[in-house]
Amino acid sequence: MNLDYNEEQIMLREQIQKFCESEYDFYKREEVIKSDKHFDVEVWKLFADQGWLSMPFSEESGGLGFGPIELSILFEEFGKALVIEPYLATVVLSGTLLDKSTYAEKIDLIDKISSGDMHISLGYAEADKGYDYLSPSTSLDSDNILNGTKTLVLNGSNAKKLIISCMKNNEFNLIILDSDTDGVSINSFLTVDGQSCSEISFENVVVNDVNIVASGDEAINLLNETINLAVLCVSAEAVGCMESCYFKTLEYTKGREQFGQPISNFQVLQHRMVDMFIESELAKSLLIKAMLEVNDNSEDMYRHVSALKSYIGKSGKLSAKEAVQLHGGMGVSEEMMIGHYLKKMISIDALFGNADYHLKKFAS
Amino acid sequence: MDINFSKEDIAFRQEVKDWLANDYPKHVKEKTDNGIALTKQDMIDFHKALSKKGWMGYNWPVEYGGTGWSSTQLYIFNKEFGLAGCPPLLAFGVSMVAPVIWTFGNDEQKNRFLPDILEFNTWWCQGYSEPGSGSDLASLKTKAVRDGDNYIVNGSKTWTTLAQNADWIFCLVRTDNSGIKQEGISFLLIDMKTPGIEVKPIITIDGEHEVNSVFFTDVKVPVENLVGEEGKGWTYAKFLLAHERFGIAGLGASLRSLNRLKNIISKLNNPDLERKANELEVSLSAIEITELRLLSALENGGHPGAESSILKIKGTEMQQNLSELFVEAAGEYALMYPGPHGYGSNDKPSGPDYAAEGLSSFLNLRKTSIYGGSNEIQKNILAKFVLGV
Ligand SMILES: Cc1cc2nc3c(=O)[nH]c(=O)nc-3n(C[C@H](O)[C@H](O)[C@H](O)COP(=O)(O)OP(=O)(O)OC[C@H]3O[C@@H](n4cnc5c(N)ncnc54)[C@H](O)[C@@H]3O)c2cc1C
Repeated sequence: MNLDYNEEQIMLREQIQKFCESEYDFYKREEVIKSDKHFDVEVWKLFADQGWLSMPFSEESGGLGFGPIELSILFEEFGKALVIEPYLATVVLSGTLLDKSTYAEKIDLIDKISSGDMHISLGYAEADKGYDYLSPSTSLDSDNILNGTKTLVLNGSNAKKLIISCMKNNEFNLIILDSDTDGVSINSFLTVDGQSCSEISFENVVVNDVNIVASGDEAINLLNETINLAVLCVSAEAVGCMESCYFKTLEYTKGREQFGQPISNFQVLQHRMVDMFIESELAKSLLIKAMLEVNDNSEDMYRHVSALKSYIGKSGKLSAKEAVQLHGGMGVSEEMMIGHYLKKMISIDALFGNADYHLKKFAS
Repeated sequence: MDINFSKEDIAFRQEVKDWLANDYPKHVKEKTDNGIALTKQDMIDFHKALSKKGWMGYNWPVEYGGTGWSSTQLYIFNKEFGLAGCPPLLAFGVSMVAPVIWTFGNDEQKNRFLPDILEFNTWWCQGYSEPGSGSDLASLKTKAVRDGDNYIVNGSKTWTTLAQNADWIFCLVRTDNSGIKQEGISFLLIDMKTPGIEVKPIITIDGEHEVNSVFFTDVKVPVENLVGEEGKGWTYAKFLLAHERFGIAGLGASLRSLNRLKNIISKLNNPDLERKANELEVSLSAIEITELRLLSALENGGHPGAESSILKIKGTEMQQNLSELFVEAAGEYALMYPGPHGYGSNDKPSGPDYAAEGLSSFLNLRKTSIYGGSNEIQKNILAKFVLGV
């Protein structure tokens, strides 16, 4: 047994940490959120140059062939710095889905994602369907005309292409189309944690046969696996947030004096920070288990990812709330980073099924 | 024992309900019912309507133009207003500075300030906290130095709620540095239009502009604006705290929020949410009856003191938990909080209306366990004065 990261993985973590420290501080992040695109073109280019955009893709597709462990490292570090770039939407949700598919043109698309030249988004969710992603109302009729509306399409406003789940003759399909196709309309907004998100509707959109990425069981498996990997990624992000919440709160309370002493002297606050620390360690443990299962593509991987997601949903939110509370008024100030971890945790819990949902999934 | 209200109290409750049904300004109700933020003018209209009915001085003695209500009546009034979804009454003038003025102020101050508070002609804000003095308020540093007929005030206050709307601010200032920190604090009333005052917004995590930093640079405050004696400000501040004991649990608003939540959840077929809502209902009932017990003790001549900290702690946790359940009920739609400026030129995305509203309250209500004496400080109070350790 060895539960340590190897040298290459440690170097990757340091590389990402260095980037976050030097290129992506809180003010930079604020700028990115307020910008038109809601991501930073230069930063994205840098991601490409570092090879991060091709990291999880198979070598056959021209990628680095890294897996869930490296992705988890990346997301943990992104979580600490609250990086807002659309890595999840373009690389994880769209790129890895294409990579695992048998879609004929995938190599070209993966190449464009890896070089940072193209954003692709996945439309998997619909209003009123909750966390059930396998019975979309969006449909492709026998003449290949697409109708329906997708919601919560992350980074939809920047996507050149869209991968859309839909039903055709009662069969589940994943299709891909250009976002500027006639009949596609995109309504974009910001999420609570500052990501760009869209609601996209399709009105009599003509789709031709070659646009089908996968059908039937293959499509179902592809989506399930992709969402599972995405859940792992956002959970790793949450683990990063939890570590930062604990660490930043510790630093803050050591520096904040009231009643003639640092407030970290008060034992009640010490215990609460110890709890935050413990929760962050336990979450890390579940992350390690889940990422190893996904790495092995084991039968049990869905269960372990659900265990992780339900755990971080609950304890992550708790840690972030505690962090805010222990910062006093500073905790609710928009100009302090700490409150943004809380927003991130709300967002992560809501994405892809919240704590209750995944607990049930784990138990079933 | 009898847990029921008297006939008189029931009649009073009807009178309150009638006012809310008929005279609660419609344009304000329309907004609060739909979770839309109120403007300054809305708040003024609401308070003026109350004033017209003669209820602005809801916790004032009759001699100063107040209602002279019993604690039970006050409780009923608070609860019904909360249940009706009214915005919380602005406490700064009517229930914070006013009692200090009528108890410790001179006749001139009473005549000058109290009528305007009753008619809501002046908007007050509270200048206590400073960047370096939050929980440890007595360490405050904003300085007032006597110069002839004036004090010259220098320093800064922070987290000042709605200072951007305020005409006046009541401040704790340091007039003496020589003794222990609680001594040497004075209670000053300052006109916000005085030169040298600068108000800067602090935006909170819900995106709202609710609090501010207030900076004082050589601000000239006439000596006649000192309330009571110089150096006695800490005593007055403590007195003031004792005055806002009831209603802090926000019971009515929580009951309203619970009812809405149960209504939403009943349509979701989600046993987890149903269980959580049921648990909150039980806790809320416990809080309500605890408040009634404290009330009963008070009406029967008792002096519940520190116990009321229970209401602050549990009442604020309840508000937070309720808002969190709204967020959970919204599922994935919880992601979509546009901030106070709405969705701009874009269409509102689909999803339930309560999604954005729930999230905005969830973020906003984090403050309730921080301000008004943080919940940790309340527990310190309970430990010291009730448990005696
Ligand atoms: C939205 C909002 C509105 C406000 N409005 C006003 C206003 O209008 N006027 C005004 O004067 N002030 C206002 N305040 C300020 C408020 O009263 C203070 O935030 C509060 O007193 C806490 O002080 P602090 O923020 O400096 O936190 P700190 O005192 O620095 O506390 C940080 C953390 O340490 C804990 N802590 C501190 N001391 C102890 C101890 N001895 N034992 C255990 N734990 C401890 C606290 O509970 C908190 O969790 C407002 C605050 C907020 C957030």
